[in-house]
Amino acid sequence: MKLSKSISRRESLKWIGVAGLSAAFGAYVRPAWAGSANGRVVVVGGGFGGATAAKYLKRLAPSLDVTLIEPQTRYITCPFTNLYLGGVRAFETLWHDYTELREVYGVRVVHQLAEDVDADRRVVKLADGEVLTWDRLILSPGIDLRWDALEGYDESASERAPHAWKPGAQSRLLRQQLEAMEDGGTFILVAPDNPYRCPPGPYERVSMVAHYCKTHKPRSKILLLDSKDAFSKQDLFTEGWKANYGDMIEWVGRSQDGRVLRVDADRLEVETEFGTVHKADVLNVVPPQKAGIIADRAGVSDASGWAPIKARTFESRQVPGVYVIGDATEAAPMPKSGFLANVQAKMTVQAVMADLAGQPAPEPSWANTCYSLITPEWGITVAGVYEVYDDVLREVPGSGGVSPLDASAVFRRQEADFARGWYAGIAQDVWGTRSSS
Amino acid sequence: MTGNRSRRRDRVPGARLSFGRVVVATMVSVLLLGAGNATAARAPWERVEVIQELLNGAEPQRDAIQLDLPAVTQDGSSVAVTVDIESPMTQDDHVERLYLFALGNPSPELLEVRFTPLSGRAGISTRIRLDSSQTVVALARTSDGDWLADVRDVRVTVSGCLSRDDTYASEDLMQTRVRVPPNFERGESAEVRTLIQHPMETGLRTDASDRPIPENIVRSFEAHLDGAPVVTARLHRAIAANPFLLFHVAPERSGELSLSWEEDTGDKAQVTAAVRVD
Ligand SMILES: Cc1cc2nc3c(=O)[nH]c(=O)nc-3n(C[C@H](O)[C@H](O)[C@H](O)COP(=O)(O)OP(=O)(O)OC[C@H]3O[C@@H](n4cnc5c(N)ncnc54)[C@H](O)[C@@H]3O)c2cc1C
Repeated sequence: MKLSKSISRRESLKWIGVAGLSAAFGAYVRPAWAGSANGRVVVVGGGFGGATAAKYLKRLAPSLDVTLIEPQTRYITCPFTNLYLGGVRAFETLWHDYTELREVYGVRVVHQLAEDVDADRRVVKLADGEVLTWDRLILSPGIDLRWDALEGYDESASERAPHAWKPGAQSRLLRQQLEAMEDGGTFILVAPDNPYRCPPGPYERVSMVAHYCKTHKPRSKILLLDSKDAFSKQDLFTEGWKANYGDMIEWVGRSQDGRVLRVDADRLEVETEFGTVHKADVLNVVPPQKAGIIADRAGVSDASGWAPIKARTFESRQVPGVYVIGDATEAAPMPKSGFLANVQAKMTVQAVMADLAGQPAPEPSWANTCYSLITPEWGITVAGVYEVYDDVLREVPGSGGVSPLDASAVFRRQEADFARGWYAGIAQDVWGTRSSS
Repeated sequence: MTGNRSRRRDRVPGARLSFGRVVVATMVSVLLLGAGNATAARAPWERVEVIQELLNGAEPQRDAIQLDLPAVTQDGSSVAVTVDIESPMTQDDHVERLYLFALGNPSPELLEVRFTPLSGRAGISTRIRLDSSQTVVALARTSDGDWLADVRDVRVTVSGCLSRDDTYASEDLMQTRVRVPPNFERGESAEVRTLIQHPMETGLRTDASDRPIPENIVRSFEAHLDGAPVVTARLHRAIAANPFLLFHVAPERSGELSLSWEEDTGDKAQVTAAVRVD
C-alpha cells in the first residue's frame, strides 16, 4: 500500500494538469446513427445526472421525445453548499433552473414527483395522477436518508440536528445555527461509513466551518466523529487543517471510538459505539443513505439500498429498459459525485440511443475529479479514470491521483481556482446557467 | 492489498517460512487441484482443504445460520462482518464453535470462536481484511455435532478516494475499549463490544527499504464471567487492524466480566467490567 501511495502522488501532478485543462464538457461526438434513435425517453430527477441526460438526449438525437420529471422548479446544488456554510458564497449562486432544457433543447419538463414505476407496462405514475409511458426510462433520483439507521435520528430530529446533505432548507438551518453559535462553542459533525454521497464532503464541510469560525468565533472547537478509520484525501486534509486552523478541528476515527450509534437531537448529544457521550452546540448529523425511494418503487435497488447496474450501459441489472445513473447506483469504485453523475449521464445517453437505434453501445469511459476547499484559497483534488474490465467497473490502473503533499501556496490556490472553474463549467453544461459567484 | 495469490506467495522470503506460510502454500495447490475429483458435486468452497477437514464428510445445513457482509466494499482493509446463528443455547443444545474463512486471502483462516451456554446467543461481529473479490464462509458446529454453513461473495474494489496511512502510534498499542450494557435481564443475552488497538501486522508487507515486516498479531481473546468462559476466540492475521469483536453474554446473576487479549509475543491485555442483573 505504501508503494501504490507514493506512485499515486507522483502520478497526481499529471492528472491534475489534465483535469484542470479539460473544460471539455460539451465535447461529445454525435454518432452517425443518432438520427435513427426514435422513441420516448422519460428521465426522473433533474439533478447532475438527470438534467444532463435529458439535455444530451435532445442534443444528440433531437427527434427523441424526452420528458424530465423533477418536483422542484429551482435546483440547488450540493457542491459549494459548504462554501455557503463557510460564508464565502451566496446561497443564490447555487440555484439553477430548467429554462435552457425547455426552451433551447425542447425537453418537456414536468414539475411533479414520480410516485411509481411499472416496468412491465413501461409507465411512470406522477403524484398528480398523470401517467407517462416510455420506451426507455432513466432514473437519477440521487439519495434518500436512512432514518432507521441511527437510533434517535429521524426526520423530526433533523430539524434540530440538521444533516444538510440534501440542500435547501437544511443548508439554511445549519448556517443559521452556526451563526447563532457562541464563540467557544462546539460544532460536531457525525460522518457515516461508506458508501455515501460525496466521500470528501464531510471533511470539506468542517474545513469551511473552521474557516468561518477562525474569523468570527476563534475559540470554537470542531469535532468530527467518524464511522471510518480512513477517508478521502486524508493526508491532504490533515495537512491543510493543521496549516490553516491549528488544533481547531479534531477528527476521531472508528478505532478511536468515533462511530456514533445514538443521537439525542433535543439535548444535542451523541453517543458512540463504546458509550462516550459528546455534547454539541451545533450538531450536524450525516446519516447513512440509500438510493432515492423511486429506485425501490421501480425495483432497481437491492438489499444494500443502492441500484446494481450493468457496467457498460448503466442499465439496471434487475429491470430491463430502466437505466440508473448518479448517486443512486451501486457503481463502486466510482465515488458518488456530481462530476461522475454528469459523465455517467453522457455515457448512458449514448447507450440508450444505441439501444433505440438497434446499434451496439459504444465503448464507455468515465473520468472524475473531486475538488475540496480547505480555505477559499487552498484547494485539493482527487482524480480517477474508470473503465469496464471483465464486465465490472474498475479504476484504470495507474490513473488515480491526489494532489501532492507539501505543495506551494500558489499550487493550492491554483487548485482552488480549478474548483471554482469546474463549478461554473458544470453548471453551464448541465443547466445552461451563466455563471456568477 | 492487491496482487494475486501466487505472486504474493513468491514475494514471501523463503528463509522465514512460518507455519502460516506453509499453510498458504498447501492451500493454493489444493484450490487448484481440488476440482474434478470425487467431491465434484459439492460447491467449490466445500473442497477447500481446511473446510473439508473440519466437515469430514458431513453435509452442512444452510438455514439456521446467517452471514452478513456487504456485497461490494470499497475498502478491503476493514470489512464489517456479522454472523448470527439460531440456537436455544442451552447446555443440551448450543453452538460450540464458529469458523470464518476468506477463501481468496493468502491464508483463508480469519477467526474461530467457541461459545458456551453463557453466551446466550451465538452471534458475533468483527472486521476483516479481504485481499480481493472472493468468497467468505461461516461454518459452525453445534453440541449435537451438526454443521451449519453460510457463504457470501464479496466484491472488493480499490478506490483512489481512500488513501490510508500505515504508520501506527505505538503508545496506543494494546489499549482496549469495552462497552457492556449498564444492566441485564436475568438470563437474557445482551451485546458486549470490544476493541484493542493493534496493527495486526500480516507479515506480508515490506517496509520503506523493502525488508519484510514480521507478522505480529493479537492471536487470542477470552471473556469469562466470574471465572466461567463466555466466549474464546482465535484471531488470524486477516482480522482488520484494531481488532473489533462483538459478542453476547446472558448472565444469571450480577458478577464480573473479565476480558483478556494475547499477542503472539505473549504480551497480554486485560480488563474487567461489572455485570449487573436486575
Ligand atoms: C456537501 C456536499 C458537497 C458536495 N460537493 C461536491 C463537489 O464538489 N463535486 C461533486 O462532483 N460532487 C459533490 N457532491 C455530490 C453531488 O451533490 C452528488 O453526487 C450529485 O448531486 C449526484 O447527482 P444525482 O443526479 O445522482 O442526484 P441529485 O443531484 O441529488 O438529483 C436528484 C434529483 O432527483 C429529484 N428526485 C428524487 N426523487 C424523485 C422522484 N421520485 N421524482 C422526481 N424527481 C425526483 C430530486 O428532487 C433531485 O433534484 C457534494 C455533495 C454534498 C452533500
